[in-house]
Amino acid sequence: MNRNEIRIAGAGGQGVVTAGRILAEAAILSGSHATHSQVYGPQSRGGASRSDVVIATGPIGFPLADDIDLLIVLSAEAYTRYQPELSPDGRLIVDGRCAPASLAGTARQFAVVDTSRAISGSQLVTGVVALGVLQAVADVVEDEALRTAVAARVPAKHRDMNLKALEAGAHLVRETSP
Amino acid sequence: MTETRLPEIPLAQAQLIQGNEACVKGALAAGCRFYGGYPITPSSEIAEHMVRLLPNIGGVFVQMEDEIASLASVVGASLGGMKSMTATSGPGFSLMQEHIGFAAMTEVPCVIVNVMRGGPSTGLPTSPSQGDVMQARWGTHGDHPIIVLAPSSVGEVFHVTVKAFNLAERFRTPVIVLYDEIIGHTRESVVLPATVDVIDREQPHDDPDDFWPMVAPPDGTPPLPAFGDGYRFHVTGLAHDERGFPTNDAQVAEALVARLHRKIEAHLDEIVEVDTYMLDDADIAIFAYGIVGRSAREAVERARDAGIKVGLIRPVTLWPFPAREVAAVASRVDTILVAEMNLGQLIGEVERAVAGNAEVLGYLKADGEPITPTTLLEEILHAEKVRQ
Repeated sequence: MNRNEIRIAGAGGQGVVTAGRILAEAAILSGSHATHSQVYGPQSRGGASRSDVVIATGPIGFPLADDIDLLIVLSAEAYTRYQPELSPDGRLIVDGRCAPASLAGTARQFAVVDTSRAISGSQLVTGVVALGVLQAVADVVEDEALRTAVAARVPAKHRDMNLKALEAGAHLVRETSP
Repeated sequence: MTETRLPEIPLAQAQLIQGNEACVKGALAAGCRFYGGYPITPSSEIAEHMVRLLPNIGGVFVQMEDEIASLASVVGASLGGMKSMTATSGPGFSLMQEHIGFAAMTEVPCVIVNVMRGGPSTGLPTSPSQGDVMQARWGTHGDHPIIVLAPSSVGEVFHVTVKAFNLAERFRTPVIVLYDEIIGHTRESVVLPATVDVIDREQPHDDPDDFWPMVAPPDGTPPLPAFGDGYRFHVTGLAHDERGFPTNDAQVAEALVARLHRKIEAHLDEIVEVDTYMLDDADIAIFAYGIVGRSAREAVERARDAGIKVGLIRPVTLWPFPAREVAAVASRVDTILVAEMNLGQLIGEVERAVAGNAEVLGYLKADGEPITPTTLLEEILHAEKVRQ
Protein backbone atom coordinates (compact mmCIF):
# COMPACT_ATOMS: atom_id res chain seq x y z
CA MET A 1 0.00 0.00 0.00
CA ASN A 2 1.26 3.45 -0.88
CA ARG A 3 1.13 5.89 2.05
CA ASN A 4 1.91 9.59 1.80
CA GLU A 5 2.18 11.90 4.82
CA ILE A 6 1.86 15.61 4.15
CA ARG A 7 2.14 18.44 6.67
CA ILE A 8 1.07 22.02 5.96
CA ALA A 9 2.59 24.24 8.65
CA GLY A 10 2.29 27.97 9.12
CA ALA A 11 0.81 30.66 11.33
CA GLY A 12 -2.72 31.19 12.61
CA GLY A 13 -4.85 32.98 10.00
CA GLN A 14 -3.13 31.47 6.98
CA GLY A 15 -5.80 28.81 6.57
CA VAL A 16 -3.53 25.82 7.03
CA VAL A 17 -6.22 23.74 8.79
CA THR A 18 -8.74 24.40 6.04
CA ALA A 19 -6.09 23.63 3.43
CA GLY A 20 -5.44 20.27 5.07
CA ARG A 21 -9.14 19.40 5.08
CA ILE A 22 -9.40 20.37 1.43
CA LEU A 23 -6.43 18.18 0.54
CA ALA A 24 -7.91 15.19 2.40
CA GLU A 25 -11.28 15.74 0.72
CA ALA A 26 -9.58 15.96 -2.67
CA ALA A 27 -7.83 12.69 -1.91
CA ILE A 28 -11.18 11.03 -1.24
CA LEU A 29 -12.58 12.45 -4.47
CA SER A 30 -9.52 10.97 -6.17
CA GLY A 31 -10.50 7.53 -4.85
CA SER A 32 -7.91 7.35 -2.07
CA HIS A 33 -8.26 6.90 1.67
CA ALA A 34 -7.36 9.92 3.77
CA THR A 35 -7.09 11.24 7.32
CA HIS A 36 -6.72 14.79 8.57
CA SER A 37 -5.51 15.96 11.96
CA GLN A 38 -4.75 19.33 13.42
CA VAL A 39 -3.36 20.81 16.61
CA TYR A 40 -5.78 21.75 19.38
CA GLY A 41 -5.12 23.53 22.61
CA PRO A 42 -2.61 26.24 23.46
CA GLN A 43 -0.48 25.41 20.41
CA SER A 44 -3.38 26.33 18.14
CA ARG A 45 -3.69 29.86 19.55
CA GLY A 46 -1.33 32.10 17.65
CA GLY A 47 2.16 31.02 16.81
CA ALA A 48 2.72 27.93 14.75
CA SER A 49 -0.24 25.99 13.40
CA ARG A 50 -0.23 22.78 11.40
CA SER A 51 -2.45 20.42 9.53
CA ASP A 52 -1.49 16.81 8.71
CA VAL A 53 -2.92 14.73 5.91
CA VAL A 54 -2.30 11.04 5.35
CA ILE A 55 -3.24 9.75 1.91
CA ALA A 56 -3.12 6.05 1.04
CA THR A 57 -4.30 3.66 -1.63
CA GLY A 58 -5.82 1.34 1.01
CA PRO A 59 -7.31 1.58 4.51
CA ILE A 60 -5.09 3.68 6.77
CA GLY A 61 -3.58 2.07 9.86
CA PHE A 62 -2.18 4.68 12.22
CA PRO A 63 -4.12 7.83 11.29
CA LEU A 64 -1.58 10.43 12.43
CA ALA A 65 1.59 11.54 10.67
CA ASP A 66 4.50 9.46 11.96
CA ASP A 67 7.09 9.92 9.20
CA ILE A 68 6.40 13.04 7.12
CA ASP A 69 7.10 12.69 3.39
CA LEU A 70 6.25 16.20 2.32
CA LEU A 71 6.38 19.34 4.48
CA ILE A 72 5.42 22.81 3.35
CA VAL A 73 6.21 25.59 5.84
CA LEU A 74 4.70 29.05 5.60
CA SER A 75 6.17 30.89 8.60
CA ALA A 76 9.54 31.13 10.29
CA GLU A 77 8.21 29.79 13.60
CA ALA A 78 6.61 26.81 11.84
CA TYR A 79 9.92 26.11 10.14
CA THR A 80 11.75 26.03 13.46
CA ARG A 81 9.13 23.86 15.13
CA TYR A 82 8.26 21.37 12.43
CA GLN A 83 11.29 20.98 10.18
CA PRO A 84 12.94 18.50 12.59
CA GLU A 85 9.92 16.17 12.21
CA LEU A 86 10.44 15.74 8.47
CA SER A 87 11.49 12.24 7.43
CA PRO A 88 15.22 12.07 6.52
CA ASP A 89 14.31 11.42 2.90
CA GLY A 90 11.24 13.69 2.97
CA ARG A 91 10.74 16.70 0.72
CA LEU A 92 10.66 20.26 2.06
CA ILE A 93 8.98 23.28 0.52
CA VAL A 94 9.47 26.66 2.20
CA ASP A 95 7.95 30.07 1.75
CA GLY A 96 10.70 32.27 0.38
CA ARG A 97 10.35 34.88 3.12
CA CYS A 98 10.86 32.51 6.04
CA ALA A 99 13.60 30.29 4.66
CA PRO A 100 16.90 30.66 6.50
CA ALA A 101 19.91 31.33 4.32
CA SER A 102 21.31 27.90 5.16
CA LEU A 103 18.49 26.33 3.14
CA ALA A 104 19.69 27.73 -0.16
CA GLY A 105 19.89 24.96 -2.71
CA THR A 106 18.37 22.23 -0.49
CA ALA A 107 14.67 23.09 -0.29
CA ARG A 108 12.35 24.43 -2.93
CA GLN A 109 11.28 27.99 -2.14
CA PHE A 110 8.21 29.82 -3.41
CA ALA A 111 6.63 33.18 -2.65
CA VAL A 112 3.47 31.62 -1.20
CA VAL A 113 2.61 34.36 1.32
CA ASP A 114 3.34 37.17 -1.14
CA THR A 115 1.09 35.51 -3.70
CA SER A 116 -1.72 35.34 -1.13
CA ARG A 117 -1.26 39.02 -0.36
CA ALA A 118 -1.36 39.88 -4.05
CA ILE A 119 -4.61 37.97 -4.53
CA SER A 120 -6.51 38.64 -1.31
CA GLY A 121 -4.70 41.60 0.20
CA SER A 122 -3.86 39.45 3.23
CA GLN A 123 -2.60 36.01 4.26
CA LEU A 124 -6.17 34.66 3.95
CA VAL A 125 -5.55 32.32 1.00
CA THR A 126 -1.97 31.33 1.89
CA GLY A 127 -3.07 27.75 2.59
CA VAL A 128 -4.79 27.40 -0.77
CA VAL A 129 -1.80 28.87 -2.64
CA ALA A 130 0.27 26.27 -0.76
CA LEU A 131 -2.08 23.54 -2.03
CA GLY A 132 -1.46 24.71 -5.59
CA VAL A 133 2.28 24.59 -4.96
CA LEU A 134 2.40 21.15 -3.41
CA GLN A 135 0.10 19.63 -6.00
CA ALA A 136 2.30 21.00 -8.79
CA VAL A 137 5.43 19.73 -7.02
CA ALA A 138 4.22 16.33 -5.81
CA ASP A 139 1.00 15.48 -7.72
CA VAL A 140 -0.60 13.96 -4.62
CA VAL A 141 -4.26 14.05 -5.76
CA GLU A 142 -6.13 14.52 -9.03
CA ASP A 143 -6.05 18.13 -10.27
CA GLU A 144 -9.79 18.26 -10.91
CA ALA A 145 -10.55 16.73 -7.49
CA LEU A 146 -8.47 19.44 -5.84
CA ARG A 147 -10.34 22.20 -7.66
CA THR A 148 -13.67 20.60 -6.73
CA ALA A 149 -12.64 20.25 -3.08
CA VAL A 150 -11.50 23.88 -2.88
CA ALA A 151 -14.75 25.11 -4.43
CA ALA A 152 -16.83 22.95 -2.07
CA ARG A 153 -15.05 23.89 1.16
CA VAL A 154 -14.58 27.68 0.92
CA PRO A 155 -17.43 30.22 1.34
CA ALA A 156 -19.30 30.83 -1.94
CA LYS A 157 -18.37 34.53 -2.04
CA HIS A 158 -14.66 33.64 -1.89
CA ARG A 159 -14.79 30.73 -4.33
CA ASP A 160 -13.32 32.52 -7.34
CA MET A 161 -10.57 34.09 -5.26
CA ASN A 162 -9.57 30.68 -3.85
CA LEU A 163 -9.58 28.98 -7.24
CA LYS A 164 -7.36 31.81 -8.46
CA ALA A 165 -5.07 31.23 -5.46
CA LEU A 166 -4.86 27.52 -6.27
CA GLU A 167 -3.90 28.26 -9.88
CA ALA A 168 -1.40 30.91 -8.76
CA GLY A 169 0.30 28.34 -6.53
CA ALA A 170 0.67 25.93 -9.44
CA HIS A 171 2.00 28.77 -11.56
CA LEU A 172 4.71 29.54 -8.99
CA VAL A 173 6.06 26.04 -9.52
CA ARG A 174 5.72 26.02 -13.29
CA GLU A 175 7.59 29.27 -13.78
CA THR A 176 10.56 28.08 -11.73
CA SER A 177 10.68 24.52 -13.02
CA PRO A 178 13.71 23.71 -15.13
CA MET B 1 -34.92 -5.53 14.81
CA THR B 2 -36.23 -2.71 12.66
CA GLU B 3 -34.53 -0.68 10.01
CA THR B 4 -34.34 3.06 10.13
CA ARG B 5 -33.29 5.59 7.55
CA LEU B 6 -30.25 7.70 8.33
CA PRO B 7 -30.83 11.43 8.38
CA GLU B 8 -28.57 13.60 6.22
CA ILE B 9 -26.24 10.90 5.01
CA PRO B 10 -25.66 10.38 1.30
CA LEU B 11 -25.77 6.81 0.11
CA ALA B 12 -22.54 4.84 -0.03
CA GLN B 13 -20.42 7.93 -0.48
CA ALA B 14 -17.10 8.42 1.21
CA GLN B 15 -16.92 11.46 3.44
CA LEU B 16 -14.28 13.05 5.63
CA ILE B 17 -15.60 13.36 9.18
CA GLN B 18 -14.35 13.52 12.75
CA GLY B 19 -14.90 10.70 15.22
CA ASN B 20 -17.14 12.96 17.27
CA GLU B 21 -19.29 13.61 14.20
CA ALA B 22 -19.45 9.88 13.43
CA CYS B 23 -20.69 9.37 16.99
CA VAL B 24 -23.57 11.78 16.38
CA LYS B 25 -24.46 10.15 13.07
CA GLY B 26 -24.44 6.72 14.72
CA ALA B 27 -26.59 7.93 17.61
CA LEU B 28 -29.18 9.48 15.31
CA ALA B 29 -29.21 6.37 13.11
CA ALA B 30 -29.85 4.26 16.21
CA GLY B 31 -32.82 6.46 17.10
CA CYS B 32 -31.36 8.83 19.69
CA ARG B 33 -33.65 11.82 20.03
CA PHE B 34 -32.52 13.38 23.32
CA TYR B 35 -29.16 14.86 24.25
CA GLY B 36 -28.52 16.44 27.62
CA GLY B 37 -24.99 17.57 28.22
CA TYR B 38 -22.37 20.05 29.22
CA PRO B 39 -19.65 20.70 26.65
CA ILE B 40 -16.08 19.74 27.45
CA THR B 41 -12.95 19.25 25.35
CA PRO B 42 -12.38 16.93 23.54
CA SER B 43 -16.04 15.88 23.28
CA SER B 44 -17.64 19.25 22.49
CA GLU B 45 -18.15 18.57 18.77
CA ILE B 46 -20.70 15.92 19.74
CA ALA B 47 -22.83 18.57 21.45
CA GLU B 48 -22.23 21.00 18.57
CA HIS B 49 -23.53 18.56 15.96
CA MET B 50 -26.37 17.38 18.17
CA VAL B 51 -27.68 20.89 18.78
CA ARG B 52 -27.68 21.51 15.06
CA LEU B 53 -29.32 18.23 14.00
CA LEU B 54 -31.68 17.10 16.78
CA PRO B 55 -34.29 19.89 16.57
CA ASN B 56 -34.77 19.21 12.84
CA ILE B 57 -35.80 15.61 13.40
CA GLY B 58 -38.15 16.00 16.34
CA GLY B 59 -35.44 15.61 18.95
CA VAL B 60 -34.55 17.64 22.00
CA PHE B 61 -31.18 19.12 22.97
CA VAL B 62 -30.66 20.57 26.44
CA GLN B 63 -27.48 22.13 27.73
CA MET B 64 -27.58 21.37 31.44
CA GLU B 65 -25.84 23.21 34.28
CA ASP B 66 -23.28 20.46 34.85
CA GLU B 67 -22.57 16.81 34.19
CA ILE B 68 -24.52 15.52 37.21
CA ALA B 69 -27.63 17.17 35.85
CA SER B 70 -26.74 16.12 32.31
CA LEU B 71 -27.03 12.43 33.04
CA ALA B 72 -30.08 13.06 35.23
CA SER B 73 -31.81 14.63 32.23
CA VAL B 74 -30.80 11.69 30.06
CA VAL B 75 -32.25 9.19 32.53
CA GLY B 76 -35.46 11.19 32.74
CA ALA B 77 -35.80 11.49 28.97
CA SER B 78 -35.20 7.78 28.58
CA LEU B 79 -37.94 6.99 31.11
CA GLY B 80 -40.13 9.25 28.99
CA GLY B 81 -39.50 6.90 26.08
CA MET B 82 -36.76 8.70 24.16
CA LYS B 83 -33.47 7.11 23.30
CA SER B 84 -31.06 9.40 25.12
CA MET B 85 -27.38 10.14 25.47
CA THR B 86 -24.75 12.48 26.79
CA ALA B 87 -21.07 12.99 26.04
CA THR B 88 -18.22 14.22 28.17
CA SER B 89 -14.57 13.79 29.09
CA GLY B 90 -12.78 12.75 32.27
CA PRO B 91 -13.72 15.61 34.63
CA GLY B 92 -17.37 15.44 33.57
CA PHE B 93 -17.33 11.65 33.62
CA SER B 94 -16.35 11.82 37.29
CA LEU B 95 -19.46 13.89 38.02
CA MET B 96 -21.65 11.43 36.10
CA GLN B 97 -20.72 8.44 38.23
CA GLU B 98 -23.63 8.89 40.64
CA HIS B 99 -26.23 8.66 37.90
CA ILE B 100 -24.47 5.86 36.05
CA GLY B 101 -25.11 3.83 39.18
CA PHE B 102 -28.68 5.09 39.35
CA ALA B 103 -29.27 4.08 35.71
CA ALA B 104 -27.75 0.66 36.35
CA MET B 105 -29.93 0.07 39.44
CA THR B 106 -33.13 1.42 37.89
CA GLU B 107 -32.34 -0.27 34.57
CA VAL B 108 -32.76 2.83 32.44
CA PRO B 109 -31.29 2.56 28.92
CA CYS B 110 -28.82 5.35 28.15
CA VAL B 111 -25.55 5.95 26.35
CA ILE B 112 -22.65 7.89 27.85
CA VAL B 113 -19.75 8.84 25.58
CA ASN B 114 -16.44 9.60 27.27
CA VAL B 115 -13.81 11.07 24.95
CA MET B 116 -10.75 10.51 27.12
CA ARG B 117 -8.13 13.18 27.69
CA GLY B 118 -5.08 13.20 29.91
CA GLY B 119 -5.79 13.11 33.66
CA PRO B 120 -6.09 12.98 36.61
CA SER B 121 -8.38 15.96 37.29
CA THR B 122 -8.47 18.52 34.47
CA GLY B 123 -5.12 17.11 33.32
CA LEU B 124 -4.32 17.55 29.63
CA PRO B 125 -7.53 18.79 27.96
CA THR B 126 -6.38 18.43 24.35
CA SER B 127 -4.25 15.29 24.67
CA PRO B 128 -5.27 11.66 24.25
CA SER B 129 -5.35 9.13 27.08
CA GLN B 130 -6.86 5.78 28.02
CA GLY B 131 -6.90 6.62 31.69
CA ASP B 132 -10.61 6.14 32.33
CA VAL B 133 -10.89 2.42 31.58
CA MET B 134 -11.17 1.36 35.23
CA GLN B 135 -13.34 4.35 36.10
CA ALA B 136 -15.75 3.26 33.37
CA ARG B 137 -15.94 -0.15 35.05
CA TRP B 138 -15.86 0.75 38.72
CA GLY B 139 -16.40 4.52 38.98
CA THR B 140 -19.83 4.24 40.48
CA HIS B 141 -20.33 2.48 43.77
CA GLY B 142 -21.86 -0.88 44.49
CA ASP B 143 -21.86 -4.15 42.60
CA HIS B 144 -23.13 -3.27 39.19
CA PRO B 145 -22.65 -4.56 35.67
CA ILE B 146 -21.61 -2.20 32.90
CA ILE B 147 -21.02 -2.39 29.17
CA VAL B 148 -18.08 -0.39 27.80
CA LEU B 149 -17.23 -0.26 24.09
CA ALA B 150 -13.97 1.14 22.66
CA PRO B 151 -13.88 1.98 18.94
CA SER B 152 -10.53 2.49 17.23
CA SER B 153 -11.45 4.44 14.11
CA VAL B 154 -13.91 7.06 12.93
CA GLY B 155 -15.88 4.43 11.03
CA GLU B 156 -15.97 2.17 14.07
CA VAL B 157 -17.22 5.03 16.26
CA PHE B 158 -20.36 5.06 14.10
CA HIS B 159 -20.96 1.32 14.38
CA VAL B 160 -20.09 1.12 18.06
CA THR B 161 -22.44 4.00 18.89
CA VAL B 162 -25.28 2.19 17.12
CA LYS B 163 -24.38 -0.96 19.04
CA ALA B 164 -24.26 0.99 22.31
CA PHE B 165 -27.85 2.16 21.84
CA ASN B 166 -28.97 -1.32 20.83
CA LEU B 167 -27.38 -2.94 23.88
CA ALA B 168 -28.73 -0.21 26.17
CA GLU B 169 -32.25 -0.88 24.89
CA ARG B 170 -31.90 -4.65 24.79
CA PHE B 171 -30.57 -4.95 28.34
CA ARG B 172 -31.97 -1.79 29.94
CA THR B 173 -28.55 -0.65 31.03
CA PRO B 174 -26.19 2.30 30.74
CA VAL B 175 -23.63 1.68 27.99
CA ILE B 176 -20.40 3.66 27.87
CA VAL B 177 -18.65 4.47 24.60
CA LEU B 178 -15.01 5.12 25.42
CA TYR B 179 -12.54 6.59 22.99
CA ASP B 180 -9.73 9.13 23.09
CA GLU B 181 -8.99 12.62 21.83
CA ILE B 182 -7.28 11.38 18.66
CA ILE B 183 -10.27 9.35 17.52
CA GLY B 184 -12.61 12.15 18.55
CA HIS B 185 -10.82 14.85 16.60
CA THR B 186 -9.11 13.14 13.65
CA ARG B 187 -11.00 13.27 10.37
CA GLU B 188 -11.04 10.07 8.34
CA SER B 189 -12.64 8.99 5.10
CA VAL B 190 -15.59 6.75 5.89
CA VAL B 191 -18.46 5.21 4.00
CA LEU B 192 -21.45 4.98 6.29
CA PRO B 193 -24.25 2.49 5.70
CA ALA B 194 -27.61 3.70 4.43
CA THR B 195 -29.47 1.75 7.09
CA VAL B 196 -28.61 0.11 10.39
CA ASP B 197 -30.26 -2.57 12.52
CA VAL B 198 -31.99 -0.95 15.45
CA ILE B 199 -33.26 -2.56 18.66
CA ASP B 200 -36.03 -0.90 20.67
CA ARG B 201 -36.78 -1.62 24.32
CA GLU B 202 -39.37 -4.31 24.95
CA GLN B 203 -42.84 -3.07 25.86
CA PRO B 204 -45.19 -4.69 28.42
CA HIS B 205 -48.28 -6.55 27.30
CA ASP B 206 -50.02 -6.66 30.71
CA ASP B 207 -53.15 -4.83 31.63
CA PRO B 208 -51.87 -1.49 33.04
CA ASP B 209 -53.85 -2.13 36.25
CA ASP B 210 -51.95 -5.37 36.90
CA PHE B 211 -48.52 -4.08 35.86
CA TRP B 212 -45.49 -4.92 37.99
CA PRO B 213 -42.52 -3.12 36.43
CA MET B 214 -39.60 -5.26 37.59
CA VAL B 215 -40.72 -8.76 36.75
CA ALA B 216 -38.15 -10.67 34.69
CA PRO B 217 -36.55 -14.13 34.48
CA PRO B 218 -33.37 -14.58 36.60
CA ASP B 219 -31.18 -13.69 33.60
CA GLY B 220 -33.66 -11.41 31.88
CA THR B 221 -34.61 -7.79 31.39
CA PRO B 222 -38.06 -6.43 32.29
CA PRO B 223 -40.07 -4.51 29.66
CA LEU B 224 -40.03 -0.73 29.98
CA PRO B 225 -43.08 1.35 29.11
CA ALA B 226 -42.69 5.10 28.72
CA PHE B 227 -44.10 7.39 31.36
CA GLY B 228 -47.36 8.64 29.92
CA ASP B 229 -48.20 5.40 28.15
CA GLY B 230 -50.71 4.46 30.86
CA TYR B 231 -48.49 2.22 32.95
CA ARG B 232 -47.88 3.65 36.40
CA PHE B 233 -44.64 2.66 38.08
CA HIS B 234 -42.19 3.76 40.72
CA VAL B 235 -38.47 4.27 39.98
CA THR B 236 -35.98 4.12 42.82
CA GLY B 237 -32.26 3.65 43.33
CA LEU B 238 -33.07 1.82 46.56
CA ALA B 239 -33.17 -1.96 46.43
CA HIS B 240 -36.64 -2.74 45.12
CA ASP B 241 -39.01 -5.63 44.61
CA GLU B 242 -40.83 -6.70 41.44
CA ARG B 243 -43.42 -3.97 42.01
CA GLY B 244 -40.65 -1.38 41.94
CA PHE B 245 -40.96 -0.32 45.59
CA PRO B 246 -38.11 -0.13 48.14
CA THR B 247 -37.31 -3.09 50.28
CA ASN B 248 -34.72 -4.16 52.84
CA ASP B 249 -35.47 -7.82 52.30
CA ALA B 250 -32.10 -9.56 51.89
CA GLN B 251 -33.42 -12.22 49.56
CA VAL B 252 -35.12 -9.71 47.28
CA ALA B 253 -32.06 -7.45 47.21
CA GLU B 254 -29.78 -10.39 46.49
CA ALA B 255 -32.02 -11.57 43.64
CA LEU B 256 -32.12 -8.10 42.13
CA VAL B 257 -28.37 -7.55 42.13
CA ALA B 258 -27.80 -11.08 40.85
CA ARG B 259 -30.23 -10.53 37.99
CA LEU B 260 -28.61 -7.20 37.07
CA HIS B 261 -25.37 -9.12 36.56
CA ARG B 262 -26.89 -12.21 34.95
CA LYS B 263 -28.82 -10.26 32.34
CA ILE B 264 -25.42 -9.17 31.01
CA GLU B 265 -23.28 -12.22 31.76
CA ALA B 266 -25.75 -14.67 30.25
CA HIS B 267 -25.63 -12.82 26.93
CA LEU B 268 -21.92 -12.26 26.36
CA ASP B 269 -22.22 -13.50 22.79
CA GLU B 270 -24.39 -10.49 21.98
CA ILE B 271 -22.10 -8.07 23.81
CA VAL B 272 -18.47 -9.11 23.55
CA GLU B 273 -16.72 -8.15 20.33
CA VAL B 274 -13.03 -8.81 19.75
CA ASP B 275 -11.05 -8.12 16.59
CA THR B 276 -8.04 -10.32 15.85
CA TYR B 277 -5.33 -10.02 13.21
CA MET B 278 -2.63 -12.46 12.13
CA LEU B 279 -2.90 -14.58 15.28
CA ASP B 280 -3.02 -18.01 13.60
CA ASP B 281 0.70 -18.78 13.75
CA ALA B 282 1.72 -16.02 16.18
CA ASP B 283 4.33 -16.47 18.92
CA ILE B 284 3.58 -12.99 20.27
CA ALA B 285 0.20 -11.26 20.54
CA ILE B 286 -0.24 -7.55 21.10
CA PHE B 287 -3.27 -6.67 23.21
CA ALA B 288 -4.36 -3.12 22.38
CA TYR B 289 -7.61 -1.20 22.05
CA GLY B 290 -8.84 2.13 20.76
CA ILE B 291 -6.27 4.26 18.95
CA VAL B 292 -3.45 2.03 20.20
CA GLY B 293 -5.08 -0.84 18.30
CA ARG B 294 -4.40 1.11 15.11
CA SER B 295 -0.71 1.57 15.95
CA ALA B 296 -0.47 -2.07 16.97
CA ARG B 297 -1.94 -3.33 13.72
CA GLU B 298 0.59 -1.37 11.72
CA ALA B 299 3.42 -2.50 14.02
CA VAL B 300 2.31 -6.11 13.49
CA GLU B 301 2.57 -5.67 9.72
CA ARG B 302 6.05 -4.15 9.97
CA ALA B 303 7.22 -6.88 12.37
CA ARG B 304 5.87 -9.57 10.04
CA ASP B 305 7.93 -8.00 7.27
CA ALA B 306 10.92 -8.51 9.57
CA GLY B 307 10.00 -12.18 9.99
CA ILE B 308 8.54 -12.02 13.50
CA LYS B 309 5.39 -14.04 14.09
CA VAL B 310 3.20 -11.52 15.87
CA GLY B 311 -0.55 -10.92 15.85
CA LEU B 312 -3.10 -8.61 17.42
CA ILE B 313 -6.03 -9.07 19.79
CA ARG B 314 -8.09 -5.89 19.93
CA PRO B 315 -11.12 -5.86 22.21
CA VAL B 316 -13.93 -3.59 21.04
CA THR B 317 -15.83 -4.56 24.19
CA LEU B 318 -13.69 -3.64 27.20
CA TRP B 319 -16.36 -4.51 29.78
CA PRO B 320 -17.50 -7.20 30.31
CA PHE B 321 -13.83 -8.05 29.86
CA PRO B 322 -13.30 -10.64 27.08
CA ALA B 323 -11.53 -13.07 29.40
CA ARG B 324 -12.46 -16.17 27.38
CA GLU B 325 -11.00 -14.70 24.21
CA VAL B 326 -7.79 -13.58 25.93
CA ALA B 327 -7.38 -16.99 27.58
CA ALA B 328 -7.76 -18.68 24.20
CA VAL B 329 -4.99 -16.52 22.74
CA ALA B 330 -2.77 -17.12 25.79
CA SER B 331 -2.96 -20.87 25.24
CA ARG B 332 -1.46 -20.45 21.74
CA VAL B 333 1.24 -17.78 22.11
CA ASP B 334 4.36 -17.40 24.25
CA THR B 335 3.99 -13.70 24.99
CA ILE B 336 1.19 -11.16 25.24
CA LEU B 337 2.33 -7.54 24.96
CA VAL B 338 -0.22 -5.14 26.45
CA ALA B 339 -0.01 -1.57 25.18
CA GLU B 340 -2.23 1.11 26.69
CA MET B 341 -2.11 4.89 27.18
CA ASN B 342 -2.23 4.65 30.97
CA LEU B 343 0.07 3.29 33.65
CA GLY B 344 -1.58 -0.15 33.70
CA GLN B 345 -5.34 -0.65 33.76
CA LEU B 346 -6.44 -3.52 31.52
CA ILE B 347 -3.08 -5.26 31.85
CA GLY B 348 -4.22 -6.56 35.23
CA GLU B 349 -7.31 -8.10 33.65
CA VAL B 350 -5.15 -9.62 30.91
CA GLU B 351 -2.84 -11.18 33.51
CA ARG B 352 -5.85 -12.61 35.32
CA ALA B 353 -7.25 -14.13 32.11
CA VAL B 354 -3.86 -15.42 30.97
CA ALA B 355 -3.42 -17.16 34.34
CA GLY B 356 0.26 -17.89 33.79
CA ASN B 357 -0.22 -19.53 30.38
CA ALA B 358 1.85 -16.88 28.60
CA GLU B 359 4.29 -14.19 29.61
CA VAL B 360 2.60 -10.80 29.90
CA LEU B 361 4.66 -7.70 29.08
CA GLY B 362 3.45 -4.12 29.23
CA TYR B 363 4.09 -0.95 27.28
CA LEU B 364 2.34 1.63 29.42
CA LYS B 365 2.48 5.36 28.89
CA ALA B 366 0.53 8.34 30.23
CA ASP B 367 2.27 11.45 28.89
CA GLY B 368 -0.47 12.71 26.57
CA GLU B 369 1.39 11.57 23.46
CA PRO B 370 0.11 8.78 21.22
CA ILE B 371 1.83 5.39 21.10
CA THR B 372 3.20 5.19 17.57
CA PRO B 373 3.68 2.12 15.33
CA THR B 374 7.44 2.76 15.40
CA THR B 375 7.50 2.58 19.20
CA LEU B 376 5.44 -0.61 19.26
CA LEU B 377 7.68 -2.20 16.64
CA GLU B 378 10.61 -1.66 19.00
CA GLU B 379 8.60 -3.25 21.82
CA ILE B 380 7.82 -6.25 19.60
CA LEU B 381 11.52 -6.64 18.75
CA HIS B 382 12.28 -6.51 22.48
CA ALA B 383 9.56 -9.07 23.26
CA GLU B 384 10.95 -11.37 20.57
CA LYS B 385 14.43 -11.12 22.09
CA VAL B 386 13.08 -11.91 25.58
CA ARG B 387 11.08 -14.85 24.19
CA GLN B 388 14.18 -16.44 22.65
